[in-house]
Amino acid sequence: MIGAGIDAGSRALKVVLFDQERGRTVASAVRDQGTDHDRLACELLEELLRDEGLPRERVARIVATGYGRRAVSVADATVTEITCHAVGVRHHVPDAATIVEIGGQDSKLLHLNPDGTVRDFAMNDRCAAGTGRFLEVVASRLGAGLDSLGDLARAADTPAPISSMCVVFAETEIIGLLASGARRENIVAGVQTAIASRVAAMLGRDVVLPVIFTGGVALVPGMAQALASALAAPVRVCPQPQMTGAVGAALIACRQASA
Amino acid sequence: MNLPPERISMEELDLLCERRRASGASLPAYVGPLRRHVAEGDRRLLRLQYDASPAAMRLWSFLLTEEERLHAARAAGVKIVGTMKDLGTVPVLAYALPNVVAFYPDGAWWTPCLMELSDGLFRIAQLLGFGEAFCPVRAMLGAFVNRAHFPIPDLLTCSAGAVCDDFSAIAQCVESLGHPILWWEIPHRRPPEPDETAVELPGGFSAPASQVAFVRSELDRVRSALEVLAGAPLGASELAAGVAQANRVRRSLAELRRLAYTTEACPMPALEMLIAEMLAIHFCSDQAETIRVLADLTEEVRRRVKEKHGVLAEDAARVFWVNPVADLRVMNLLEDCGGRLAGTEFLFSHALDPIPEDLPPMEALARMALADPMVGPSTDRAARIVRDARAFRAEAVLVSRIPGASHCALEGAVIARVVREELAIPVVEMEVPPVADSMMPTLRSQLEALVETVLERRKR
Repeated sequence: MIGAGIDAGSRALKVVLFDQERGRTVASAVRDQGTDHDRLACELLEELLRDEGLPRERVARIVATGYGRRAVSVADATVTEITCHAVGVRHHVPDAATIVEIGGQDSKLLHLNPDGTVRDFAMNDRCAAGTGRFLEVVASRLGAGLDSLGDLARAADTPAPISSMCVVFAETEIIGLLASGARRENIVAGVQTAIASRVAAMLGRDVVLPVIFTGGVALVPGMAQALASALAAPVRVCPQPQMTGAVGAALIACRQASA
Repeated sequence: MNLPPERISMEELDLLCERRRASGASLPAYVGPLRRHVAEGDRRLLRLQYDASPAAMRLWSFLLTEEERLHAARAAGVKIVGTMKDLGTVPVLAYALPNVVAFYPDGAWWTPCLMELSDGLFRIAQLLGFGEAFCPVRAMLGAFVNRAHFPIPDLLTCSAGAVCDDFSAIAQCVESLGHPILWWEIPHRRPPEPDETAVELPGGFSAPASQVAFVRSELDRVRSALEVLAGAPLGASELAAGVAQANRVRRSLAELRRLAYTTEACPMPALEMLIAEMLAIHFCSDQAETIRVLADLTEEVRRRVKEKHGVLAEDAARVFWVNPVADLRVMNLLEDCGGRLAGTEFLFSHALDPIPEDLPPMEALARMALADPMVGPSTDRAARIVRDARAFRAEAVLVSRIPGASHCALEGAVIARVVREELAIPVVEMEVPPVADSMMPTLRSQLEALVETVLERRKR
């Protein structure tokens, strides 16, 4: 039986097909989010099925998650990204106790019970300072690609002090830093530190190991190290971090179909 | 008329109101269709879901006609007292006097939300230097300036001391605008030292006798000012009667809360419970009518409990809600997401406890004022939340933060820690701005995730 998970995130749409019998993902795809979540989700799902040579009837159930989940008409059910990330991460890392998920527009912290269910959670719900949006802003301001930020951060010697309170304020700071001759590498490292500090402040002292880092921002080189420094704890990056929400949604689809 | 319980739109509630009038039912003069308030600018009413009962219709009409009542009182020569930063103490004194009504100017913080910011109260506050970083209570400044809402009170009282910094700054600005304030001081409640005499407070806390005596002396000053305003002494028997009358409101609310939060099939929606509980602190400018409104609501709830009629799915996640929200739609949203209220702590749990009637009234009021959750340590407040959440069998606690409100900026973490340690149930903090339109998808995600977490826990 195949379950499909669609994660309609704010920056990217992800689709995963999970084969319950074989216990593994059979296909997955990511595409930049547009304005029409529904059409994009349908297209990506159909494309995956076509590429894998799977008839639509093989998909027993579809679960949508993410910011735009309610707009995905092809879904049989919707489940929040909080629950889906917990299920998706535990699939990859069965002993995960704390999950840090940083996406394009928000960040989340999840504490899991020993059985993998969510104990409780917190969301950075207003400012983009603790999210991937911050990295986009700085990349744009520095004229760098998102994928080059990791290399830049690695070449930093002294991360620049940048506010973790507000992206708009931080952007002004970056302009000032550039004007004063600060190195781009140090600015990028400073931004990574600011994002990590913001997330660490949400987590407070409630850090239970192992801490697993997931979400699209976990793909950015240097972010895991910045997070580990801010938390003063080791941080492991989840395999396929951008996909954990969709993987969780697909696993939940399988469970619901079997129930 | 026994209607099946359900949540309905404003238009449907108005229809219910018109049918009641047409049927010859005896309704108070203030009860009428809510669309009249929309016409006056309260556009948010169009987007709320209401309980489908005549009792709820009366509750809403009562709430939304408060300013009319105050203006009518002014026209009739009744003295008006504005009791600022006061969650249920001075109004008890004021209503014990003849020809005096008390109201809560701070309540203007809901006006911008109900009017979807069209009233400009925040804009006026901004011009006075109180921008978004301040508590939404800053809307009160606008109401004092534009005089388009409540009449300017004949006497303004305000507590100072163990109150939030934002509020103190806003109240000082009110005074600087030419509205003299009688300040009375409330100290930070502390546990008695070993060599101090301990006094038991309502709510299960204690304080040194010296603190109680100090608060009593402060309230005596307020009492004297009220007597001068009323032109009549406030005798012991009148005061005792005033306390007894306030306790009628509190007992009525206690019964309503017990029924609403413990019954399996939720008999009253969250939104109406929020409005009803708010009546405890200032009686919506009519204490006697408050008692009747609550009696109606309690009667409706009793009937539903007896008939096992709930307004929500029986498996709704039981959520204990901490702090009031300015955007009332969020209370609807909790239920849309599969939750229900199972207890509340809207910052004034002490105003729901009976004022001791076996003590001299001023002593009893001083003790009650010191039991205010906002004047003591956050751990005290958390302890109360734990006790009530346990009693109401809550499955999760939601702490809703108010942007800019300093009294709840950090205590959420304390509450979360204590609740987790004591009850081991999920605790989630979420920020609800006064007009939360742009935040609705995020708020929905958080509430849905909380409900999912609760339902998953039930399977374990």
